[in-house]
Amino acid sequence: MGIGKGNKSTRVNGLPWILPAFIFVAVIIYYSIFYTLNLSTLDWNGLDPVQTRVGLDNYKKAFGDWVFWKALQNTLIFFVCTFTVQNFLGFLFAAILHTEVKLATLHKCLIFIPTILAPATMAPVFRLLFSPQGMLQDILNFFNAGITVDWLARPVPALIVLMVVTVWQYTGMSFILYHAAMSQIDKEMLEAARLDGAGNIRTLASIVWPNCMGTTVSLAMLGVIGALKTFDIPYLITVGGPNHATEFLGTYIYRQGIRQSHLGYAAALSVILLVAAIGGAILTNKASKRGGK
Amino acid sequence: MFEVRGLPGKIGLQLLLLIMTIPYAIPLVQMIVGSLGGIGFLNYKAVWDTGVVPTYFRNSVIISVGVIALVYVFSMSAGFGFAKLHVFGKEIFFWMILIAMTLPEVILLSPLFVTFQKLRMFDTLFAVIFPIAALQLPFTILLARNFDEGIPNEIMEAGKIDGANIWQVFLHIILPLTKPIASSIIVLTLINSWNAYLMPLLFLQSSTMQTVTLLPQYFQGEFTNDQTKILASAVITAIPEVIVYICMQKNFEKGMSAGALK
Repeated sequence: MGIGKGNKSTRVNGLPWILPAFIFVAVIIYYSIFYTLNLSTLDWNGLDPVQTRVGLDNYKKAFGDWVFWKALQNTLIFFVCTFTVQNFLGFLFAAILHTEVKLATLHKCLIFIPTILAPATMAPVFRLLFSPQGMLQDILNFFNAGITVDWLARPVPALIVLMVVTVWQYTGMSFILYHAAMSQIDKEMLEAARLDGAGNIRTLASIVWPNCMGTTVSLAMLGVIGALKTFDIPYLITVGGPNHATEFLGTYIYRQGIRQSHLGYAAALSVILLVAAIGGAILTNKASKRGGK
Repeated sequence: MFEVRGLPGKIGLQLLLLIMTIPYAIPLVQMIVGSLGGIGFLNYKAVWDTGVVPTYFRNSVIISVGVIALVYVFSMSAGFGFAKLHVFGKEIFFWMILIAMTLPEVILLSPLFVTFQKLRMFDTLFAVIFPIAALQLPFTILLARNFDEGIPNEIMEAGKIDGANIWQVFLHIILPLTKPIASSIIVLTLINSWNAYLMPLLFLQSSTMQTVTLLPQYFQGEFTNDQTKILASAVITAIPEVIVYICMQKNFEKGMSAGALK
């Protein structure tokens, strides 16, 4: 995220202009962060008048908790896979729709509509689609594939389903960004490459892709933060199961804090998640400054 | 980006596009086909007859309008302040807001849960409007600031020479010039507040207070395992979104991409 240098400010005191927004954000966000920090040193169920101070025990517990590591591992796999597939598809769609094709608007709408629909609205659809009663089963039966769609009940397939749903939902985002980036590419450069005998694949790989690097970096940043924030899709489709196979930090914090009333432990997990999110954002930002244009 | 000559190439590319798009359509087709299973369109009638749909929609509309109003006022004023005015320690304020951008909303749950109960704000729409707006603001303030910095100072100076005070400059010069970014901010906020699930799930408990994203869940309780009606309610929820998107395609695409583009 680039922040301009700022023009020479006029000599009007700007404090009244930024203070209301700042206070609003600070009261809700920073209050919650400090509250969570305090909570993370307690053993408390949220109702009991007795709050036991346990120091860093909740953090120690987290680092020894296999579900926590499983959630972290899932987040990493999830980010790498969805980022790669989603951007590959988005890039390809953008390249194709920059060529003259029929029904371009219809295709564009179909790719983009998933990004505006709420995961909560689509979750029942996906639970049906990836069940033996769903359309996918009908399609597979039509081809006599001999496969039973019971994927949500099995650990690895369930995680893959969640990644497929995520790619389905956010390809439109990658597509729109790459589409915009490609409009900026110098036409003459492309023609020069073609005159030199570069084919379609070659042109895409050595001219179009490098020119979209800035977009890819922005998408990486959104992707890292997005992967860490993942909640709606696993919570609504698999509830983190079977046996924590599709657990993410968000769903685990919810399970611990809200469902099981381990407020202190959930708070410690939240602090770790927040540190990871800030760290991830700083790292991708650094990488973008080095690797970007 | 592709150079295709001849009919076979053109057909090939069109076919590739079709094959790539079909998977994106499958869930939408499943949603509609599934909602028409069993008693067909009567599923929609059954969903409508429960009488809760308008209430859920009303709540979602109120929440979205409330969040958009807060986000618009705060991002426009703060964006202007950060970009064009003199503030002592400006970057510290700015970075403190920016860090909040990375905050996963699940972190807010416990603190706000306990606090809202103390303040008797639990189960009111404010309990959803305030946190969603606060989570949205860091990003929209960044967008507004970046946009405002592109406005030449001379335009403002000209206004001041004409005797306008800072308030008039903001209202009559800045606001009209920032319409493009304002529309992106509004669309982005609309999508995020309309689709919000976690905050309403937790902070709105009574059935007269809930939002459209909780409709499928409500019908799961109401019709136990009748998938067809649950899907009918999903279609009813999705249709207004799709209609608004199709009417304002350009704004949506710009809004969604505004964030990632510098």
